[in-house]
Amino acid sequence: MTGQQSTETAASPPARGLHRLVVLALCLVWPLIWVGGLVTTYDAGMAVPDWPGTYGYNLFLYPYKTWLLGPFDLFIEHGHRLLGAVVGIVAIAIVVVAYLRDPRRWVFFLSLGLLAAVIFQGCLGGMRVVLGDRTLAMVHGCVGPAFFALCAVTAVVTSRMWWREPSEEDAKARPIGYPLVGLIASLLAISYVQLVLGAQIRHVQPTTPPSQFTMTVAQHVMTALLLWVLSLLASWRLWRCGDLTLSRPGLVLVGLVTLQTVLGVATWVVNYGWPGFVGQVPSSSGYLIQAKGFVDSIIVTAHVAVGSLILAVSTMLVARILRVRGRRRQAQGVHDDVLATSNESLSPSAALSH
Amino acid sequence: MRQSVAIADSGFSRFNSLMFRVESTARSKSDLSGPKRACLLLASFLFALIGCDARIEQFEPNRVFTLALAKSRSIPTEPASEDVSQSLEVLFGTPNEPQWPEQLLAEEGTEDLVDVERLRRAAGPVSSGKDGTHRGLFREHCVVCHALEGSGAGPASQFQDPYPRDFRHGVFKWKRTVRGAKPTKQDLRDLLTRGVPGTGMPSFALLSPDDLDALVDYVIYLSVRGETERRLLVGAVDELDYGDTVPEDDFRIRYPADSEGAGLIEDTVVRVAGQWDAAESRLVEVPEPPDLDAEEMAASIERGKKFFHGQIANCVGCHGASGNGAVVILDYDDWTKDYTTRLGLTPSDREAMQPFRDVGALRPRPIKPRNLQKGVFRGGGGGPDLYCRITQGIAGTPMPAVSVVDQANGKGLTAAQIWDLVHYVQSLGRE
Repeated sequence: MTGQQSTETAASPPARGLHRLVVLALCLVWPLIWVGGLVTTYDAGMAVPDWPGTYGYNLFLYPYKTWLLGPFDLFIEHGHRLLGAVVGIVAIAIVVVAYLRDPRRWVFFLSLGLLAAVIFQGCLGGMRVVLGDRTLAMVHGCVGPAFFALCAVTAVVTSRMWWREPSEEDAKARPIGYPLVGLIASLLAISYVQLVLGAQIRHVQPTTPPSQFTMTVAQHVMTALLLWVLSLLASWRLWRCGDLTLSRPGLVLVGLVTLQTVLGVATWVVNYGWPGFVGQVPSSSGYLIQAKGFVDSIIVTAHVAVGSLILAVSTMLVARILRVRGRRRQAQGVHDDVLATSNESLSPSAALSH
Repeated sequence: MRQSVAIADSGFSRFNSLMFRVESTARSKSDLSGPKRACLLLASFLFALIGCDARIEQFEPNRVFTLALAKSRSIPTEPASEDVSQSLEVLFGTPNEPQWPEQLLAEEGTEDLVDVERLRRAAGPVSSGKDGTHRGLFREHCVVCHALEGSGAGPASQFQDPYPRDFRHGVFKWKRTVRGAKPTKQDLRDLLTRGVPGTGMPSFALLSPDDLDALVDYVIYLSVRGETERRLLVGAVDELDYGDTVPEDDFRIRYPADSEGAGLIEDTVVRVAGQWDAAESRLVEVPEPPDLDAEEMAASIERGKKFFHGQIANCVGCHGASGNGAVVILDYDDWTKDYTTRLGLTPSDREAMQPFRDVGALRPRPIKPRNLQKGVFRGGGGGPDLYCRITQGIAGTPMPAVSVVDQANGKGLTAAQIWDLVHYVQSLGRE
């Protein structure tokens, strides 16, 4: 850990409760993505044909015994809706607390965006059910991780790390240039593109031509390799920044992308078997796919969930690196008009003085 | 400008279609309150911009066979294809609302070959009921590889080796009936339960028996429909004078009608369904396997080895002396030959294949003999399975049948000798 800067001297943010609420939202959204993934894996999206109610009942009043003891499809679909509703309630609480406690106006608008995103995502899910439309299911599957990423951004801007004042260490630290920011931003963009490609494979239409599906799979594989190389490069560069709030997530990202690559291969194998060109893999020639197998379903769903996690960590890194970069430039007395304005408006002390 | 108008029109019609669906849904749920309905309409307005599923209204015609027929007869086959498609829709319905020509088959007593309720459960979009019953089973489990029409050219088909089965030929590899016969329902059910190891075909053992029965019926439905289509196309061109133009009304492929064309339709459907119905009576008679102790089994394997290398069975010709399938042969399965070698075309000739690729044919791939040393038998490795495979060959592939004779005569093998061969083949995988 030599050369790594500690964040122990961080100033306390004025709205600790807000941060805790956002972390709670993050902790709820990832399981929500898991359950949503399971819904798709088990083709249970249409297990409850109406929306916003459940078989004519208000969502919260649906008999819990029927839910818990009923078919698995109904269990996960209704559970997905309930968990989504809980996230919606937490999002409302975030808006209220942001309005009452956080001095930054833009954070309030960010929280409003969070709430709007939850509502939009809920409507998408509902319309997917009402119209029985697989394309909407795919869009719903792509918006979920985007919302998760938005939660990650909110968590960063409400965290203690965000409120830390520029210090002498910042003044001495290596400046962060645009290339590194661009690298992290490209990681974010590519991880989302990768997620959309994966969603297209997962929600493939019955009428999709084989050549188009093959092309999408090839793009997904190539993008995975690119993402892996970029995450390694980013991690190495972040390590050299000397800030634990950047280097740790950088390492986590490499681990997640590696795990995701393994899960991706496993997902393909449990869905379509071993490709012919890896015939040398022991027992691959006798491998038997088990439709709707529990372990297989968990592997496929884990691939979906870890993809969202990669997106969220990338987003968190973008938010953090922009903040650290601004702080260092401020500490080192580097000012350009845009940055000065930006730092001033983001400065905790400036915000508190309003 | 024209293009942008077309795009705008297409977007508008998509929006209209979506709004209609939402309105219909709202009407069907009379308990929806005003705000809920407004929520639905507002959301649908947003989603109209995103797009919705490709519409699935009818089965695609068999364009590859239509083109192959046109090449082999040197005449246009589009008029015949159009009439055949229309008649098939009347008889067999659509992917969302399948029908079974019960009335037509009632005369021969084959109307119960498939259960219409099961067909409806297997067809259509994926959904599940309050009791956990799944609907749209074919799209849930099969369509990604086998495609809506059962053409075997689904979205993921290019990744499979061998390609997923094209049901429309009415030819199936893994069965216990004689080579030219259809499989029994039990054959298809066993296949679904067992899966095909080493390929993309999963085991559906975890599905409920009702789901399996529904899938079996739907596969038979697609096969009967697809084979009827092929036979009608041939009949239209060879017997009813279809060509550049359609023939006069009495000879047109139309159903229902009182005409020669309708008669051909009836005969064809009845004949194809009849073959499926007769499958139970065409089972291979598998004699009881000999009860052998270890020493006798070793001797049986040794004898089987001689047959494996001998002139009668000549297994080594394809599977190689050690059974590892390393012999280089350049042959294709019947599904590929249908649009290649049978037309005098070379499968590796890209230019010749391009017109077929353009209408949905998969890139021809040579068929490979199995590596028996791996002990993986795609159609089941049990003694009776292998006995059937040796005595019948594998339908649709170059794997030939070995004749069963009562007395060894140099032209076939006796049942006991075939059991020796079975034991040897099984022993290869254990080495």
